[in-house]
Amino acid sequence: MHTLEFENVTKSYGDAVVVDDMTFTVQPGRVTGFLGPNGAGKSTTMKILLDLASADHGRTSIGGTRYRDLDDPARTVGAILEANAFHPARSGRNHLRVLADSGGYPHDRIDELLGLVGLADAADRKAGAYSLGMRQRLGLAAAVLPDPPVLVLDEPSNGLDPQGIRWMRDLLRQRAEMGNTVFVSSHLLSEVEHLADEVVVINRGKLVASGAISDLQQAGTTVRTPTPEPLSKILEDAGATVEIHEGALRVQGLAIAEIGERAHEGGIVLHELTPLAGSLEELFLGWTALETSDEPIVEGVAS
Amino acid sequence: MKWLKLVRGELRKLTTTSMPWAFVAVLVVIAAINAAAIIWGTDADGSKAFISTAEDQLSLLAFGANAMLITGLFGAIAVSREYGHGTVVPTFLTTPRRTRAVLAQLTAVFVGGGVLGLVGAGLILVTGAISIPAVDYEFMLSAGTVTRILAAAVLAGGLGAVLGAGIGALVRNTGGAVVGAVLVLLILPPLAVQLASGAAFWIPGTLVSVLSGVVDDPGLPAALLALAAWSLVPAVIGLAAVQKRDVV
Repeated sequence: MHTLEFENVTKSYGDAVVVDDMTFTVQPGRVTGFLGPNGAGKSTTMKILLDLASADHGRTSIGGTRYRDLDDPARTVGAILEANAFHPARSGRNHLRVLADSGGYPHDRIDELLGLVGLADAADRKAGAYSLGMRQRLGLAAAVLPDPPVLVLDEPSNGLDPQGIRWMRDLLRQRAEMGNTVFVSSHLLSEVEHLADEVVVINRGKLVASGAISDLQQAGTTVRTPTPEPLSKILEDAGATVEIHEGALRVQGLAIAEIGERAHEGGIVLHELTPLAGSLEELFLGWTALETSDEPIVEGVAS
Repeated sequence: MKWLKLVRGELRKLTTTSMPWAFVAVLVVIAAINAAAIIWGTDADGSKAFISTAEDQLSLLAFGANAMLITGLFGAIAVSREYGHGTVVPTFLTTPRRTRAVLAQLTAVFVGGGVLGLVGAGLILVTGAISIPAVDYEFMLSAGTVTRILAAAVLAGGLGAVLGAGIGALVRNTGGAVVGAVLVLLILPPLAVQLASGAAFWIPGTLVSVLSGVVDDPGLPAALLALAAWSLVPAVIGLAAVQKRDVV
């Protein structure tokens, strides 16, 4: 079992802080989505984990060991970091042969994997002639070639058709059910919503939310009352974030039972007290629209 | 052994694109031009004195200096394109200890450069052995001399490729790496000779000529060492540059 750990990871390029004191863990046996707007620092964070980029501060580890110190790193972690990391004049089959030779893996899995990713008929064509979706499929074949217990995939569904996305989702879920650690970045929120058990959300290099999707999606409460302003003040005094919209309060940061008790203590009548189950997209837009603070807005089991 | 697997992977990289064949095609063209020069070329006085003695033929057919220039370009392209196409990413994922990865790359291009040097020298010698008798001159190179020309071309080819690979690892952009290799192998040596005439003994062309037996000075051991330095200094600089650099 390999837990991915990020501890106070910070990375700057010049004056730009790309990853800012990020701390979270990714558990085995789960699919963890890594969400953030373009330029949020997802790819850099993954590259730091895999020792392709060095952190200015902090440390990362895979099962407690830094990537470069793993006994056989490529057999431990399968990765996709660049959709076009192929020589355009090299065939898909030869790309996998190069990786098999370098890592010392048997070649007999290559044909099986090319069939599995739907590239059997295109295996001997130059990768430069592949569509983006075909390149992603080849990247996935390369990532699982040594049958690693950890997958780190940067935007693997880019360019995949609906069947390809479904196939990838099934593959990653299957790997997670086998106890593998699956860490997948994406900006396709609906895809992550279908695929991931957990999410880690970053914005401008900072962690803004993490946890089980089911928990995060209920990370708020809708409250209706004939006296919204006094209740809003009471709840804000208790540490909650409150928005008033069309007469209803949207409350974050306070458990539903506590909201009821505070209202009761304040002598305020409630007409509705409902857990807020927003879509991941709504939550994501909310998280990434807010200025990032030093603490994550929502912290769940993944942090 | 893990490192040998890496070398095997790097060799497969080199042999699974058309680039080496493009270089072989260049070698064929050079051999054809050489043969044409033997058949139709003359000295200023209209004679064929340039192939009349064994020394002349050795000077004409020793391919080492050309091999080093050509394989310098080969090494520069082979390594810089790894960065351009992002194929260095799986290499560094397989071997995050980058020294091992780069040493495997250098070993593979040394082998590839040596093979290109051998092919180039072989083509030149074969076409020379055919074209010289065709113009009624005797092919005068002994088996020992031919062997020495081939060995010099293999070594010069390998070292040239390592030199180019070092520049490729340092520059990373293929166009820049090619320009760098041309600068180091073709432009800088004559400039150095103009600045200090004693430098003529230590430029790659002279050193490879010593290996081939065309000239004697500065002597075989010194030539070997100096040629190795020409090759290894860029390689070590490239290796050092790769160590801490982020792969982006």
